[in-house]
Amino acid sequence: MSILLNNRTRLLIQGLGNEGQNQIRRSLDYGTTVVAGVHPGFRGGDTFNHGSHEFPVYPTVVEAVSKTRANCSIIYVPAPGAADAILENIAAEVPLIVCITEGVPVHDMIRVRTALEGSKSRLIGPNCPGIIQPASQCRVGIHPPDVFMPGNVGVVSRSGTLVYEAVDQLTRAGIGQSTCVGVGGDPIIGEQQQAILRRFQSDPDTDAVVLIGEIGGLAEQAAAAYIKRSMTKPVVAFIAGATAPPGRRMGHAGAIIEGEAGTAEAKIKALEEAGAVISRSPAEIGSTMRRVLEEAGKYQPPGAVEQA
Amino acid sequence: MNIHEYQAKQIFKAHGVPVPDGGPVTDEREARDLLKEIGPDVVVKAQVHAGGRGKGRVVKRDRAGRVYAELIADPEKSEGQIVGRRRGGVRLASGVEEALKEFRPMMDKDSRLVSVQTGADGVPISAVLIEQQSSIAHEYYFSVQVDGANGQPLIIASAEGGQSIEEVNRTNPRAVLRVPVDPVEGFPAFRGRSLASRLGIPTSAIRAAGDMFANLYRVFIDMDASLVEVNPFVLTSEGTVLAIDGKVGVDDNAAFRHGGYEEWRDRSQENPVEIEAEEANIGSYIKLDGNIGCVVNGAGLAMATMDTLMLHGGEPANFLDIGTVNRKDRVVEALRIIVNDPDVKTIFINIFGGLARVDIVAEGVVDAVNELKITQPLVVRLNGSNVEEGRRVLHDSGIAVQTADELGDAAALAVEAAQSGRRRSRSDG
Repeated sequence: MSILLNNRTRLLIQGLGNEGQNQIRRSLDYGTTVVAGVHPGFRGGDTFNHGSHEFPVYPTVVEAVSKTRANCSIIYVPAPGAADAILENIAAEVPLIVCITEGVPVHDMIRVRTALEGSKSRLIGPNCPGIIQPASQCRVGIHPPDVFMPGNVGVVSRSGTLVYEAVDQLTRAGIGQSTCVGVGGDPIIGEQQQAILRRFQSDPDTDAVVLIGEIGGLAEQAAAAYIKRSMTKPVVAFIAGATAPPGRRMGHAGAIIEGEAGTAEAKIKALEEAGAVISRSPAEIGSTMRRVLEEAGKYQPPGAVEQA
Repeated sequence: MNIHEYQAKQIFKAHGVPVPDGGPVTDEREARDLLKEIGPDVVVKAQVHAGGRGKGRVVKRDRAGRVYAELIADPEKSEGQIVGRRRGGVRLASGVEEALKEFRPMMDKDSRLVSVQTGADGVPISAVLIEQQSSIAHEYYFSVQVDGANGQPLIIASAEGGQSIEEVNRTNPRAVLRVPVDPVEGFPAFRGRSLASRLGIPTSAIRAAGDMFANLYRVFIDMDASLVEVNPFVLTSEGTVLAIDGKVGVDDNAAFRHGGYEEWRDRSQENPVEIEAEEANIGSYIKLDGNIGCVVNGAGLAMATMDTLMLHGGEPANFLDIGTVNRKDRVVEALRIIVNDPDVKTIFINIFGGLARVDIVAEGVVDAVNELKITQPLVVRLNGSNVEEGRRVLHDSGIAVQTADELGDAAALAVEAAQSGRRRSRSDG
């Protein structure tokens, strides 16, 4: 079953614009249980239909939760309203909130982080691809479903497209995934890599983890400290941006080189010292993991993990 | 986005932060009028967004490249001065005529400011800030920024101002105070006074310093800033506090509620190609030094693509994250910018569709090849959402393109094409 999601996940989608509708159709096709939509003034009336699937649409999260017992929210609301949507989910005590939205102002995220303190909610994102768990066919995000395969390797990444890249390599190398989590590329996010690693460490369905970081911030150092202190499962790591020119911003607001600690070299060194296996090339993440699993006697040929 | 020092000081002033008398000028008559009003002893400061201004040099455009090389090779011997022969971006002057002598080369249309951060072309100078000199008793450092890891604002302050705070942090970390801010409480004046006291500011100036810190925090909030920095603020010999420098960086993501920050934006300080990319709405573009033009979706994959090219011995000509592409004309616009870059010898398109659909990207590539008459070798790697359709579109179009399914193979093809030039442009992978 692995972390964060399972086959009892009851998904609520907030933001049924064009993109939200496209994405939720793909999640329904993948097999995800979607129980409610929230979209004030939804033009489609009070239900959303896709093939044989149907779920009710409510104007507020609190109403949706009380009527459907939704326990996970996916937010596709555009940036100006995204923080408001997250706050609404925290107020409604939704246990797991995933926010896909890119471009949320950082001051809004300061308010969100304050509201998360002491709340009953956990947040993944924003500016992330979401979470996918192949064994329970649960897709809470924007992933291309075809590249994923059930298995025993967890993936955690700041970048969305690098989740797909790494997973594609894993799948080609005959390695399935337990859960894949994109934590998001912004300066302020909900759970960081370190928190996800802790979840994988205590998850019986995960035998090893791919960690994908990038230049900027100190999150990889925090992850390295956790690996050194508590992680017994093997970790294969790649840090993007080793060749980025210093001082230039590379799209992710979080990816600004701050002094020495933000550089790829500093992060690679911290992770190496913590015992992680470094894949220097982003094209070798899959083959490196295959070697690590075989050495640890944890390689499971495809099909060995049952579908839930 | 950064704003100019003079703009930061206008915002400071409107928020009750004391700044020196003076203002920005762009022509000689304005300068003369201002100098008569605030003279005779003044500071003349070139207004540019680039860092390293004081130690940078104001030079003629045709000397920019040479001076940049000297600055990189031997900063001690070639860096700009505040007084003396080598004109830096910040100059002291006494009297109207002396001040105009500093003003003229800065405002000359042919001038550039070159610093270790500007690159060999330097940057144009947008305006000149002329201010009264202050009698400085002590220099301090103050900044507010976002601490991502803790998700709250962080104030950094030091009694060792007027120099690089990174340097102070290296040599004397205990001199750097870090004050996390509770976002609910904000940073009221009493917290400011307590910080002023820890900095050793004399009792008589503590109230003014406390107010200044509280007001700088309000600037941070009101502007949706990612950084507000004053290095230095000073205690004058008259015993008052004064922000004699000012830097404000704003959060582009908050532009929607600040009228796009148009009031503060200066496009002359930005790379023209980067502006073109923004106006065409094709995501995030940064010009680099190599010859492989890259079109990638996602910042992480874009960086990883550059990493892979370099591991194979290639050099990217740019970073381009086209974001989520669900319209083929955006692919054409992205490729137009890449093709118009004279450095580009090969084009590498690497798209892993999630939200983006790669069949639409493929249609855009075909349109671009036909519309733009692309002559450079083209390497395309598609994967993810609707990949089968995408590959079919490319194949059926008959355009000259090399393809590979995996990142490493595709990067190798791109590097090989860049190294062997145009001769291979008709080969099909």
